[in-house]
Amino acid sequence: MSGLIDAFEANARRAVATVERIASSPAAVRAAVARVVKDSRVIVLGPGEFLSSELMDPLRELPGLVPQPSDEMLSTADAGISSAFAGIASSGSVCIAMGPPLAAAVSLLMPLHVVLVCANRIVKRPRDLFDPACLGGEALKRNVVLITGPSATADMGPLVRGVHGPQRLQIFVLE
Amino acid sequence: MGTVNTPALQADSPRSVANKSDRQRLLRAIRMALSIQSPAVRRNTQTFNRNRYRATGLLPDYEALKDQARQIKERSIANLPQLIAQLGKTVRERGGHVLLAAGADEACGYVRNVCVRHGARLVVKGKSITTEEIRLNHVLEAAGMEVAESDLAEFILQVADEQPSHIIAPAIHYSRERITALFKRKFQTDLALDTGEELTKFAREILRNKFLHADVGITGANLVAADTGTLMLVESEGNIRMTSLLPPVHIAVAGVEKIIGTRQEMAPFLELLAASGTGQPLTSYTSFLSPPLDDPPFALPGKGRKPREFHLVLIDNGRMRMRDDSVFRETLYCIRCSACLNSCANFQTVGGHAFGGETYSGGIGGAWEAGTGRLENARFSELCTGCSRCVNQCPVRIDIPWLNENLRNRLNSASETFLTSGILTTMTGAPEVDQPAPASKLFFGNYHQFAEWGTRFAPLANAIANWGPARSAMERWLGLDRRRSLPAFPGQALVRAAENEPLTRTEQPTARAVLFADVFTNYGLAHRGVAVLRLLRKMGVDVVVSESVPEGRAALSQGLLATAALYAQRAASLLDHYLDEGRDVIVLEPSSLAMFRRDALHLLENQAQFERLRSWTFEPLEYITRLIEKSGRKPQEFFDIDRSTVGTRLFYHSHCQQKTIGCAAPTEKLLRDIGFDVVSSSVECCGMAGSFGYKQDFYELSMAVGEDLFQQVRKAEEDGGPRALLASGTSCSEQLHAGMNREVLHPVELLAAIVRSSGE
Repeated sequence: MSGLIDAFEANARRAVATVERIASSPAAVRAAVARVVKDSRVIVLGPGEFLSSELMDPLRELPGLVPQPSDEMLSTADAGISSAFAGIASSGSVCIAMGPPLAAAVSLLMPLHVVLVCANRIVKRPRDLFDPACLGGEALKRNVVLITGPSATADMGPLVRGVHGPQRLQIFVLE
Repeated sequence: MGTVNTPALQADSPRSVANKSDRQRLLRAIRMALSIQSPAVRRNTQTFNRNRYRATGLLPDYEALKDQARQIKERSIANLPQLIAQLGKTVRERGGHVLLAAGADEACGYVRNVCVRHGARLVVKGKSITTEEIRLNHVLEAAGMEVAESDLAEFILQVADEQPSHIIAPAIHYSRERITALFKRKFQTDLALDTGEELTKFAREILRNKFLHADVGITGANLVAADTGTLMLVESEGNIRMTSLLPPVHIAVAGVEKIIGTRQEMAPFLELLAASGTGQPLTSYTSFLSPPLDDPPFALPGKGRKPREFHLVLIDNGRMRMRDDSVFRETLYCIRCSACLNSCANFQTVGGHAFGGETYSGGIGGAWEAGTGRLENARFSELCTGCSRCVNQCPVRIDIPWLNENLRNRLNSASETFLTSGILTTMTGAPEVDQPAPASKLFFGNYHQFAEWGTRFAPLANAIANWGPARSAMERWLGLDRRRSLPAFPGQALVRAAENEPLTRTEQPTARAVLFADVFTNYGLAHRGVAVLRLLRKMGVDVVVSESVPEGRAALSQGLLATAALYAQRAASLLDHYLDEGRDVIVLEPSSLAMFRRDALHLLENQAQFERLRSWTFEPLEYITRLIEKSGRKPQEFFDIDRSTVGTRLFYHSHCQQKTIGCAAPTEKLLRDIGFDVVSSSVECCGMAGSFGYKQDFYELSMAVGEDLFQQVRKAEEDGGPRALLASGTSCSEQLHAGMNREVLHPVELLAAIVRSSGE
């Protein structure tokens, strides 16, 4: 188990995400998220499908958080917060399940994307998500995106992070 | 390429040489690419190439994944008509719309009509090479719409009005400096655009606005699952996510070959595609979407929130015809990863504006261009030398050289016959079906016949071969470049020389073998063959030399398939006779060995005969390694490094086809085990590639490819001075000699000098 988390952490860093392990407690989660979004003026919180409301609720009081943003606000917000359906150790990816309002938008439109992933949702390889027995087989039924590091391009010559999607990807592994 | 800068020889624009249905345009495209695009293409493709080796090396079950992917594609293409029907039903049941378009006109017309019906003014596009194939942008623009390419590479191409030069990185030929110059010129801006970050920010701001206001989003799809209607979309920039998520109308355009049975079957491709393409475990974003999406589309103030609408446009455009073609059906397994482009030495040097057509490029590009257009559009596939480095890199195991040899064959048949071809046809006795081929191809494909005469009259023939007027004639009629020194014919062919070699009779030989007298050794570097005999006999092997017959390699590389099959069959029958006697077959020239181990699969009718050949043919050092292993002794007990006359520092370049069949590593290992300090080249191919580098049309390209190898030699000699140059291939040796102007040995020559007699 801890081997998987170690691999996830190392590979996510290799993909230029920032990763931190934190305790799975409301206070720890709130403190950690507050720290990374402290410079963000407008923050949008995605659905907390894969976290308990006990962990999610304190985030709703973060300064700058907009409860029901208009599309115009979404397009100019500074940070989005997601709860991940899964983490993938061998690639350092997070899997975001779409469908509920804001789930896709918070993982794409803002320059900073903060992802909370529960340690027990980390699988070994990308293809494991295609196993019907894995995490209830949800990845086979939902619209999902596997996110590996910030958006990037090499089309302009050197490798540049932050193209159409987020420039920074901050992952918290909840242990 | 200094002359290119003079105004009279101003380089062509990429668009003007996109269509290479005639040879002159192909040659102009090569000159253009070498003079302008080569540094960027080299740097970028070689980075992809290195990263791919690393990423695929990290997949513990890489080979098994490739097998799975291949099986899924075989099954899907076999069931394609059913899958198309099933997918149509699935998408309609989900509330989407589906069109199966026979050709580009129908597909573009449908997309235009959907856009017009929605009153679209702005259409935003994610990267889709298939929409390049059908020229969708022209149709939408002609209907008065603005089309915004949102992938940054496509954005650059749209600004520059150029065709893609790579399957996954369409602007790979642009350096940062050239993009800066392009943007400054086209956008008339004073902004500092001197870094990748500044350029990206500039484009991002333009495009963010387009995403937010677009009426319609158009994407491609990497795969489509028939059971759920799921699209797999692979990208790194986020533009495809934006395109599929924000506008109310999403149109996905995909070739029918992208359809597979189930969403679950996408699993092996997920890991293979990123590793084989950009060389990452995964790209930044891999989406699995079954549109229409549930999320409401984006709506800025003043724009009404529309319901989501989804259209899937499936394109045939020649694909069902490819499916019926027993050779080109394999093309449809292609998942457009670009591994065959990045692992190709020629592609690394010129990119897809020379080694490519109007849409598709690289090794697999010819088959796509011919399949979705006209055969003549695939003429650029001439640049596939058959080096085979792409073969092990293809995640669905497509035999790309074989496709290109078939394209060449069909192009030969379609070519005009000239007088020289007629004469050569008579001289070579080429099978009738191969007769319409150009003279140059008949000459190189039947080289053994000329070499046999050359060797018979060696001193005179060598003098003539280097005599100015003769070289002019050969250049003019056979396309043989006069700047190349020709391999000298030996005073005595290997088969004759072997008769004078002492036979060491051993009571109990360690093994029994036959050295196949390939034509390149027999009529070229015969002394290397003699070295093999001496070496093996000293190691106690009962070894004889076969008659010299062509095995078909030269003919195959010229696309003379009937000739190649005839020769391969003859050689196989000859070797069968030795195999029946219990002899192992040693083949010195790696391209001949690769024929027996790989290519003959396509040419021999009897598969059991091929399997036997494949199992019992050996590269000399591979064979020696086995002998040493069998003996239970150490390499040093067989070889005395102190006897080396070339010192202990070596630079070794293995042959491209030798690497593909797994015979390069044993040579490197044996040399190191004996105690040599070996630096191995890491280039995919030396650029000579058999006859390729001898051809006048390709001399500059061949030498430009070779420059990577020459530089590696120079670098390896920076510390501690010169190294003895070793190469296993005949033409690699010629190329290395041409570049370094030094003697090049085959490892067997070195080993023959340091082998201890079995009694020692």
